[in-house]
Amino acid sequence: MTSTALRHSIWILRGNPLTGVAAAGVLSLIFIAIFGPWIVPYDPIASNVSQALLPPSAEHLAGTDQLGRDVFSRLIVAARLDLAIAVSAVSLSFVLGAVVGSFCGYAAGRLDRTVGRFVDVMMAFPLFVLAMAMVAALGNRVENIIIATAVINLPFYIRFARAEVNVRRNLGWVEAARSSGESHISVVLRFLLPNILPAMAVQMSLNLGWAILNAAGLSFIGLGVKPPTPEWGIMVAEGARFISTGRWWLVAFPGLALMLAVLCFNLLGDGMRDILDPRMRT
Amino acid sequence: MNQQQVIGRTVRGTLGATMARAGRRFLSSLPALFGVLVFTFLLMRVLPGDPAVFFASGPNASKEDVELIRKQMGLDKSMPEQLALYLYDVGRGNLGRSMMTGQSVTKDLRERLPASLELTFTALLIALVSAIPLGVLAALKPGSIIDHGVRLFCALGVCVPTFVSGLLLIYVFYYLLGLAPDPTGRVDVFTSLPPSRTGFLMIDFLLAGDIEGWWAALKQLILPAMSMALFVIAPLARITRASMLVSLGSDFVRTARSVGLSRRHVVVTYALRNAILPVITIAGIVFSTMLGANVLVEKVFSWPGVASYALDALLSSDYAPVQGFVLLMASLFVLVNLTVDVCYGIADPRVSIE
Amino acid sequence: MQPTSFKTMFRATAVLALLLAATGPLQAQTRAETLRYVTGASVNTLDPNIPGATRESFALSLSTYDRLVSFGRKQLNGKWVFDLDKITGELAESFDVSPDGLKITFRLRKDAKFQDGSPVTAEDVKWSLDRAVTAPVLGKNQLLTGSLTSADQFKVIDPHTFEVTLPKPDKLALPNLAVVYPIIINSKLAKAHATAEDPWALAWLKENTAGSGAYVIESFKPGEQVIVKRNEAWNRGTTDKAAFFKRIIIQSVPEPATRANLVERGDADLVIDLQASDVQSLEAKAKLKVISTPQYNAVTFVSMNNQIPPFDNVNVRRAVAFALPYDDMFKAALFGRGAPLFGATWEAGKPPNGGYPIPQPVKVDLDKAREYLKAAGLPEGFATTFSFNVGQASTAEPMAALVKESLAKIGIKVDIQKLPDAQMSTQINEKKLPFFTEGIVAWLPSTDYFYRNFYIGNQRWNYSSINNPELTAIAQEARFEPDKAKYEEAGLKLNAIHFSEMPQIPLWQPNQDAVMAPSLEGYTYQFHRQVDYRDLSRK
Repeated sequence: MTSTALRHSIWILRGNPLTGVAAAGVLSLIFIAIFGPWIVPYDPIASNVSQALLPPSAEHLAGTDQLGRDVFSRLIVAARLDLAIAVSAVSLSFVLGAVVGSFCGYAAGRLDRTVGRFVDVMMAFPLFVLAMAMVAALGNRVENIIIATAVINLPFYIRFARAEVNVRRNLGWVEAARSSGESHISVVLRFLLPNILPAMAVQMSLNLGWAILNAAGLSFIGLGVKPPTPEWGIMVAEGARFISTGRWWLVAFPGLALMLAVLCFNLLGDGMRDILDPRMRT
Repeated sequence: MNQQQVIGRTVRGTLGATMARAGRRFLSSLPALFGVLVFTFLLMRVLPGDPAVFFASGPNASKEDVELIRKQMGLDKSMPEQLALYLYDVGRGNLGRSMMTGQSVTKDLRERLPASLELTFTALLIALVSAIPLGVLAALKPGSIIDHGVRLFCALGVCVPTFVSGLLLIYVFYYLLGLAPDPTGRVDVFTSLPPSRTGFLMIDFLLAGDIEGWWAALKQLILPAMSMALFVIAPLARITRASMLVSLGSDFVRTARSVGLSRRHVVVTYALRNAILPVITIAGIVFSTMLGANVLVEKVFSWPGVASYALDALLSSDYAPVQGFVLLMASLFVLVNLTVDVCYGIADPRVSIE
Repeated sequence: MQPTSFKTMFRATAVLALLLAATGPLQAQTRAETLRYVTGASVNTLDPNIPGATRESFALSLSTYDRLVSFGRKQLNGKWVFDLDKITGELAESFDVSPDGLKITFRLRKDAKFQDGSPVTAEDVKWSLDRAVTAPVLGKNQLLTGSLTSADQFKVIDPHTFEVTLPKPDKLALPNLAVVYPIIINSKLAKAHATAEDPWALAWLKENTAGSGAYVIESFKPGEQVIVKRNEAWNRGTTDKAAFFKRIIIQSVPEPATRANLVERGDADLVIDLQASDVQSLEAKAKLKVISTPQYNAVTFVSMNNQIPPFDNVNVRRAVAFALPYDDMFKAALFGRGAPLFGATWEAGKPPNGGYPIPQPVKVDLDKAREYLKAAGLPEGFATTFSFNVGQASTAEPMAALVKESLAKIGIKVDIQKLPDAQMSTQINEKKLPFFTEGIVAWLPSTDYFYRNFYIGNQRWNYSSINNPELTAIAQEARFEPDKAKYEEAGLKLNAIHFSEMPQIPLWQPNQDAVMAPSLEGYTYQFHRQVDYRDLSRK
């Protein structure tokens, strides 16, 4: 069974080399996130004003910023925080969305309609502005950025889970579980939820990259993480100020890091979709 | 009764039914709009900033000035009272006054909405024009190098924050190459504006017969629209590819092929026409999210649209514009969805809106 | 048929070519006579008195309205700045101050006309100044600082003579009539638009002008742009003729990097709110004219709330004052663009003069800082938050990072808080922030004015919330001190108290960096830290 799945995956990978590359990218990202602080050449937050705004050199691979901090070291160390923001934001909306959505899809009726209304309200919101307002209201701490990102994602997960459960609720094996005396809650949590997880996992992977970009956008308007914490979004946002003076390294390298991370997540999500359901391949 | 009449009546019947369904759907979305209204109101009051203090920031502003502004903004009343007053005002079509611009929010939004819509439409057009061929190409040879190329291109588009692509486009095309006009809004300040008929400059210039002005306005549009379009090509190309794959694999396409119709004819007339419906749906969704999400693009290109207006208002805790903006966006969202539904209903009478 | 159409075509082409040839130079000429000014903020009202008016609105009002008098200008370190001590007539042809200093008589220009052609009379002046001190407008609190508080003080002598009476001699009375707020309004026009609830026509004047100023509003799009055209009849300028530019375009461009690009490419003529890094690189390229004037009526502080522990302890405040990395902050955050207010040496620990602000004898000295902390009973340090507003991020953010790093060395753990502007002002107003950076500005900079407005009372501008009876008494007394030597002495005392109490730490006076096309001339640094468009010309 597992070997079939493995063989299937390998077959898919051969057909789609991009997925393999993306998976390798995500793995190295995780590696950097874990071991980053030990492999950087400089302290990412120690300033050295006499070395400010130096272009890339052998000494500073990605140059230095306004305070003379090593951009390369900051990039590496930032991986952990960025990954943490993305993963926790997406997991939060994933867990909430999956549970709420599945119950709605299963129960239908009034609960479904009430939640449906609520989801409609949220969908009708201009989402980025909602995130901005939430961070402004709660204060721009990392937790709040995560919460805001999770909230604006929530309606999509609820809808997705609801739809997936809705098509399955009357299938034979669900009926069987019910008739064998399982409670409704147990049917949802033990049977339906695990069944829709793979499809949702794909959604999640696609969403990770988006969550990082969202945090970057918040940084650009001044609602990102606090200085001097290194984070890609805020580095790009700050670096963007220096485009006009030709200090390209301040925006190019963080931008590249951001881009690669998002690209890997997206391609991986795409590839995973193929593996799970070749017919849905798009 | 001849056959022609029968068909006519059926079509009219389905159209009527579609409209009735759209009406019902519109009514059922009213509670959501109301929810948005109340929720935004509350969210804005939760913001820890006091707009009165912020706007009383002259070098000699005193407590009195703060109180004065508070009274002007109606902040001296209790929260439920404020909400009731606000709802009453909204009911009469009055969205309040912006402290930031000193104008009524309705007026501000009316002046700025066409700018945002024009930008978003153009961006959507660019995205569709590039996404559909890309999607079709990818679907024709799934798994080929073209397919992967399209996939990579789309993924690249969505992985750069719009503000970065915007700033880079300005740097390269305006600053370095001098090809693009200065990124200072909808039209070069030295070009005189056409009489405002629709608010859409592209249309107003044409109506006024001012081709030079039209060209100037178009040039201003291209860069911001491009940076927005880059971001939405991916979902559009993806859905085109998916529905093309289904459509190409269906019986009628196989039949069309087997009777020896030309490949081009089959792909465009049969497959694509049938695959276009899901693309319309996604385009509708993309359009409404873009309207709300183009905050950063508007900011970067000094575009006088509604989103950058809301952003400034939010940062200065100017309640009325943010509330007005959210309400406007929510209404547009409902409207776009309805339009998509109606289009859908007309294009394929079998589809039920419910 | 064919020849005719050919002829028509030829004729059309010729006409077109002629048109092109004619419009070419014409357009170039209008461009030279047009000033394009770009800024990050925007004009939000045409009447500077409306609560919430932006600085850009103030600047515009100087060109659209006249006042009775205006400030002269002087050279400071080779740069033109406004001169508080030289008041010249604007709508007033001349004015006299009575020997007891209680009456100021203005004789109005007889040729002065409002933009609708009606003459400017003493009645208009009376109505306008009455409005400034009675209506709910911003001018009220400003004019108060010049002892102008009630309509009874303003008297019409004859259509061209106007008299102001003061309760006691006040050297700020006359300068107050030259600031932004006391605009002279066409009272007939304004009254025609007044209503029972709005007797001072606040609503109408917000969106319309009724002045006699150098420029007439051509179009006003709040939040976007304002275009004004020259008032050809205006002759109140220093050179007794109309302003130079025929047309001025004031445009909002929120992105600072874009503003830098615009001025560098010659699409904009003048910009004053660039980022320090952009100014530095533009200056290095030497293609444009850069005039950097330290904002000598403004100060940037690191403030501590003297009522919130541990900053209620003077030794803690001193410890902080000796632990800030001044040079690094000045270099990294401000790119050295300003006048530093640190690193001075005071002979025998006494302030060298009674001016405000003066450079303080502070520098980084971590050992000294640790001693002060020990004296405060906090040898291990403490934890606090340091706040700044988002609008100031480009300088305050690197500054905050440096403050955090340096204070950590003496055991003070700093958490940085970045607040949206409205939240920052609210929290300052409510006295909730223990430790933050902010700036102040005084339109009429004199020592007593600074101390009275920024160091007294439970109000927003007293950032440090200091409550020192001695300081209060000296400053209040100095206000009406006519004797220069005594005034200087009071200033010395105030400065000494400031240093020993260290309520907040003055850092620097940032530069106003005006970057402009090389052809522009006449730029003057003004009290409201904006451009007075009437000063400018193109060579």
